Amino acid sequence: MRILVCIDDTDNMESKGTGELAEMIAEHIETSNWGKTTRITRHQLLVHPDIPYTSHNSSMCFEADIDTSYLRVLIDFAADFLVRESAPESDPGLCVAVIDQIDDVDTLIKYGHRAKQDVMTKKEAYNMAERLGIHLSEHGGTGQGVIGALAGVGLRLSGNDGRFKGKHKINGINDIVTAGEILSQTDIDAVRCLDGNDLDYNDKVRLNDWVKSVLLEGKCVLIVSPTENDPDGVKWQMCPKKILKSLG
Amino acid sequence: MWKVNERGEKVFRGGKEDGAGAAQAADKCPNFKLDVEDEIVADELRSCYNCRYRRWTAESFACYKPE
Ligand code: SF4
Repeated sequence: MRILVCIDDTDNMESKGTGELAEMIAEHIETSNWGKTTRITRHQLLVHPDIPYTSHNSSMCFEADIDTSYLRVLIDFAADFLVRESAPESDPGLCVAVIDQIDDVDTLIKYGHRAKQDVMTKKEAYNMAERLGIHLSEHGGTGQGVIGALAGVGLRLSGNDGRFKGKHKINGINDIVTAGEILSQTDIDAVRCLDGNDLDYNDKVRLNDWVKSVLLEGKCVLIVSPTENDPDGVKWQMCPKKILKSLG
Repeated sequence: MWKVNERGEKVFRGGKEDGAGAAQAADKCPNFKLDVEDEIVADELRSCYNCRYRRWTAESFACYKPE
């Protein structure tokens, strides 16, 4: 069965990040042979004076394909893990959704989008999770992280939000590769420029040490921007971080 | 470069788009600590925008480790 696991509000300014904890949960799923996991996405939620958050107010979500018999043990593990590993003054929340069993995907996606714009309540999150048949639980502090955990699942399901955790490793001669080489060396699905068009296989791209992708149309997409006066005549380069931030 | 808000927090005056100002502030700051990779947003790595001690607000960020 395919599930989405999302955690939120686990860190403070000195602790491990929420992304690292999500990665550790995903690793445990793999090493325990419960199933296979996919790349983690980071979803930015609303920053507002009425929303208490300890560090960033972003949630981290990943998909896993597991044997049905491991669902309960996975939820129990993740819950204990958050109690153990979250920062003392954080308010961690955990959401686990079985993708094929979500009662109303559109409602969940709308909830995710609202959490980027409105101040939401825990009560509303729990009601929504119950109505849609989704596991939602809190594991310390005020438990406020349930809002972001549920929203993160909705945003991941939307296929159009957030950036992928981690950087892609690509080998290129003198840091120059073709779009085709990027696709063959990584799990990136498309190399796209800011106007929305995909690069051709043979288009050359100048790499740097910041190859980060975003979730667009359900795909892992590398955004590139035009170069200026490239010495080798390469037309494309990695998109500036500032633009990436605005995309995800 | 900074102002104090109604909560007593030290808030960056430059908002979220003053990359040069945020880099300049971090350059002078002994408390700068690069945030985890997932939260890096500015191209200039040594920038308050990339510092573990900044907390985003609706318009800017507050520094939680003022000198
Ligand atoms: S501690 Fe504050 S002033 Fe210093 S770099 Fe970080 S955010 Fe900027």
